[in-house]
Amino acid sequence: MTSFFTGKVSFVLKLVVVLLLSSVLVTLTQSAFAQKEYFIAGFLAITILLLVLTYLTKISIPLKFFLPGILLLIAFVLSPILFTVTMSSYNYKTGNIISKSEAIEQIKNRGFESDADGTSFDIKIGRYDNQEAILVSDSINGAYFISTENNRIPLIAQDLTVNEYGVAESAPDFQTLSDAEMANADEIYSLKRFKYQDEYFIALEGFEVGIVSRQVLAFDEVNDQFKNIISGEIYTDNGRGNFAIEGSPDQYLEPGWRAPIWFENYTKLFTEERLRAPLVSVFIWTITFASLSVLTTFALGLLLALALNKPIRGRRVYRSILILPYAMPSIMSILIWGGMFNTEFGAINNLLGTDIAWFQSPTFAKFAIILVNLWLGFPYFYLISSGALQAIPSELLEAASIDGANPRQIFRQITLPLLLQILSPLLIASFAFNFNNFNLIYLLTGGGPRAELDGELAGATDILISFTYKIAFGSSVQDLGLASAISLVIFVLVASISMYGLRKSKVLESFQ
Amino acid sequence: MSIWLRTNAWRHAVIISVCLFSLFPLYLVVISSFNSTGSLRLDSFIPREISFANYKMLFNDPTIPYMTWVKNSLIVAGATAVLSVTIGSASAFAFSRLNFKGRKTGIQLLLLVQMFPAILAISAVYVIMERVYTFAPSIGLGTQAGLLLIYLGGAMGVNIWLLKGFVDSIPKELDEAAKIDGASAVQTYWLIFMPLAAPVLAVVALLSFIGTFNEFILARLFLVDMESRTVAVGLQQFIGGQYSENWGPFAAGSIIASVPIVIIFLSLQRYIVNGLTAGSVKG
Repeated sequence: MTSFFTGKVSFVLKLVVVLLLSSVLVTLTQSAFAQKEYFIAGFLAITILLLVLTYLTKISIPLKFFLPGILLLIAFVLSPILFTVTMSSYNYKTGNIISKSEAIEQIKNRGFESDADGTSFDIKIGRYDNQEAILVSDSINGAYFISTENNRIPLIAQDLTVNEYGVAESAPDFQTLSDAEMANADEIYSLKRFKYQDEYFIALEGFEVGIVSRQVLAFDEVNDQFKNIISGEIYTDNGRGNFAIEGSPDQYLEPGWRAPIWFENYTKLFTEERLRAPLVSVFIWTITFASLSVLTTFALGLLLALALNKPIRGRRVYRSILILPYAMPSIMSILIWGGMFNTEFGAINNLLGTDIAWFQSPTFAKFAIILVNLWLGFPYFYLISSGALQAIPSELLEAASIDGANPRQIFRQITLPLLLQILSPLLIASFAFNFNNFNLIYLLTGGGPRAELDGELAGATDILISFTYKIAFGSSVQDLGLASAISLVIFVLVASISMYGLRKSKVLESFQ
Repeated sequence: MSIWLRTNAWRHAVIISVCLFSLFPLYLVVISSFNSTGSLRLDSFIPREISFANYKMLFNDPTIPYMTWVKNSLIVAGATAVLSVTIGSASAFAFSRLNFKGRKTGIQLLLLVQMFPAILAISAVYVIMERVYTFAPSIGLGTQAGLLLIYLGGAMGVNIWLLKGFVDSIPKELDEAAKIDGASAVQTYWLIFMPLAAPVLAVVALLSFIGTFNEFILARLFLVDMESRTVAVGLQQFIGGQYSENWGPFAAGSIIASVPIVIIFLSLQRYIVNGLTAGSVKG
């Protein structure tokens, strides 16, 4: 058995595994490099190097043990954290998602306008002289021509097949596209400009209509600015990811790009009233929700632990029933409770004989959330409180009883303080967990009720994390930069809470 | 009688009322799953009909790939559980038992990293996986393989930390003896540590399985295809729509998905409770 770990068989096996894994990673590195994802490619390259060095040489034994774990941590925890930090310093939101060079390209492509009459033609797309071309039918003037990027070739109507509407279907030397080519045609043709006359060109709208247009916006590479050729307006880089007219910041060109704005996402949290007001109320509710959750679940759990602390008939059955809510996959339970609170079809109104729209009123919605979380969470505190109750030395309680203390006094002055001391790290951990209890809020109320029409950003039951999620993946505007900034603020808060809890549980002292 | 009342009656009153509280939603789901009208309404405590229509629908309706969802969940959660415990326990062993430069700093960093709620980096993970998709569509956004990698990485900090606690509790004398007998670190790990830790590792794997099974938001964001969804996402979509009050099939679906987990949980509760007091909070 021992020889298995040193023998030749195991070495060959190891070699095969490492080489297989490396070859997969090499392929990935190459394609990442080809896509210009240099960070990812670099990380993968280092991974390969480390894998080969660690498992095929004897460079370090500890590394053999923790390399896979550490690599995963770096790839999916540390780098997302660092990436979050980076994103939080960028203007990175809907309208400012792409890079600057891509934005310039898109502005150029979009920066044209149709001529004064709004002239448009029926067209067919195809190829001529090995270039992308369009077959244009100018039905008003009865003229036909083929237009490529730089040439316009007039045609004679007799040479063409013209349909009943006077639109040319085909022309000599003009090849129409095959179905396979048609499938990819949109990307190629929609960006092309086809020659018309003077500064005017034909741009496509769909595959059958061409619009006579001229370029309005011209990019000046030297000064890094766009100029409106007609009006003479100049759009300069405003340093925040847009080309805008100096002095009137609201007039900017779409799209923008992601640009560093340093601490603005953070300062915005405090200075912008539109953001500050919901943040304050969300923060207050987050704290209230987390505290109430810990309090209610702990109180009920402890009460049960006390009630079941004596041998009682059927204790095992009770115990199993009581931890059922904890054993159920919580996601299912939350959805079920959601259904029970339904106004018309739900069992709660049904049972109470009421007609309450639970999730339409902030107060009822908050009550529902606390109740559901109580159901989900009390078994946990029941389990750990009954464990902790057994850990309290019985001599202590007996001594107090001999000294004449009544049960209530014993509980108040001995049991409870001791319990709180034993359980405080877990109470703090539970607070930190509920602080980010996204599933509950998102699945039960969705953060609502929310007066969306009034432009409210946060709902009445949104906690910080669900609010952040809305900002990052909301339906109208997705602001990844701002969401990242809030995420980091939450991390600092939660980490401080957890650190405090750990210090209480003295874990930090056990470091050798 | 009055003494009994004072000392024991309150216990029974508390226990029975909380038991009712805890059973009520579960009872409701069970009777709704056998009710063909499809709402979570309680018309009477005793079900008026026992219909298997909802269950049949899950298995026969081609627009609801329920079995595929279950299979997806089992694959993703199972693979996450096995791999994260395998990889995590090796790292935990190194941090607990082996001496190397930077070990202490490593542990402190680990402590900090495992505090970072994975959900906070969700936008970063999303953007990164979107980019990965451009060059490796098989592990990028929208794939189960990609989701598995994220789960593995995201839980690694907590797992290593938790497992390190367990490894610390195994007496050092055992592996010191093995060392004196000439065993290498690798041998000590496989021959001494693994057999001792196996039950604990099984519990951690189980907790990780349940945690992954319950994970909703990443799965929701990542798995867009109907066919690639997990049970949690699939069932939520089922009742999430504005006009779809498909509570009957939902109830049946959540019962099928939950029963095995509840049974495993109840039968292993003693071990799980020990794991809980070590500081893990179920997600």
